[in-house]
Amino acid sequence: MHEMSIALEVARLVEEQMSSHPGRLLRVGIEIGDDAGVEPDNLAFCLEAVLAYPPFSGATPVLARVAGDVLRLDFLEVDDDRPDD
Amino acid sequence: MTVRTIEVRERIMARNDELAAEVRRRLDAAGVTAFNMVSSPGSGKTLLLERTLEALGEELDIAVVTGDVQTQNDADRLARRTSRLVQAVVTGGACHLDASQVMAALDAIDLAQTRLFFVENVGNLVCPASWDLGELAKIVVFSVTEGEDKPLKYPKMFRMAKYAVLNKIDLLPHLDFDLEQAMSYALQVNPGLHFFLTSARTGQGLDDWFHFLRQQVRAAVPA
Repeated sequence: MHEMSIALEVARLVEEQMSSHPGRLLRVGIEIGDDAGVEPDNLAFCLEAVLAYPPFSGATPVLARVAGDVLRLDFLEVDDDRPDD
Repeated sequence: MTVRTIEVRERIMARNDELAAEVRRRLDAAGVTAFNMVSSPGSGKTLLLERTLEALGEELDIAVVTGDVQTQNDADRLARRTSRLVQAVVTGGACHLDASQVMAALDAIDLAQTRLFFVENVGNLVCPASWDLGELAKIVVFSVTEGEDKPLKYPKMFRMAKYAVLNKIDLLPHLDFDLEQAMSYALQVNPGLHFFLTSARTGQGLDDWFHFLRQQVRAAVPA
C-alpha cells in the first residue's frame, strides 16, 4: 500500500510549506491523475490518519481527480489569523 | 479568522525523483548498468538472479540489492552465489523500495568494481511501478503460473517496464496458460516491450537473457 508513503511525503511537503506560511492548517488539496497508480479512497484514508496529528490536527484532505499521471500537492488552506492584505 | 489559500503545485514524487536522478548520475559516472527487477511475489526473480550470478557474477562484476517486507532470505540465497556483499533492505511493511534506500545501499557497493547492478524489488505489481530508483530500465518478471491477463490487471507496471521475462516456461505443458495471449495483452499495454522466455529452474532460455545482459554491459561506457 504505497498510499501511506505518499501521505507521509505529503506531510513532509506540507510541513515545509507551513514553515513559511504559519497558521492553522484547514485543507490540503491534492491532484491525482487517473493514471497515477494511486487509489484515491486509500490515499484519503492515509491522509486523514496523517493529518490527525500535530502540527496538522484537524486539516481535511481535498482530493481532485484529473487526467494523466499527475500526482501533486495543489494547495493549502491556512487560517493565519492576520488581517487581510 | 483569515483563511488564505496557498498555491503549491508541487509534484509529490519530486524528492524521490531527485534522489533517483542522483543514483542514475552515480551509476552513469561509474559505467554501471542497473536494472530494477519487479514482479508479483513468487514469479522466480530470486532464482533468475541466482542463475545469473552463477553464470555471470564474476564476468560482469554483478552487485545486487534485495528488497523484502520481512526477512533477508532472498539476500542470503543470492549471497551463496557470489563472493560479493549482497545488500538486503528490509522495508518493515513498506510495499516497495524508494530511491533513498537504493542511494544508501550504493554507499556500501564498490562501484568501480561493478559493471552490472540489480535491484530485486519487493514482490508487488502495483507500488514499485511508481518509484523511480535510478535504474536504466525496469524488468518485469511474469511467470506462467499467473494469469495471462496480469498485464491488463496491472497496466502501469507493464507500461513502466522496458523488458518482460516470462518465467517458469518448463511448466507450460502442465498449465492452461496461453503464452501468445499473455504476450499480446502485454503488448497491448506496452507495444515496445521486449520479451525473454525463460525457465530459471531448467535453464531454458537463459542464454538469450545472458546474451542481453552482456550486450547491455558492453554498451555502458563510464561518463
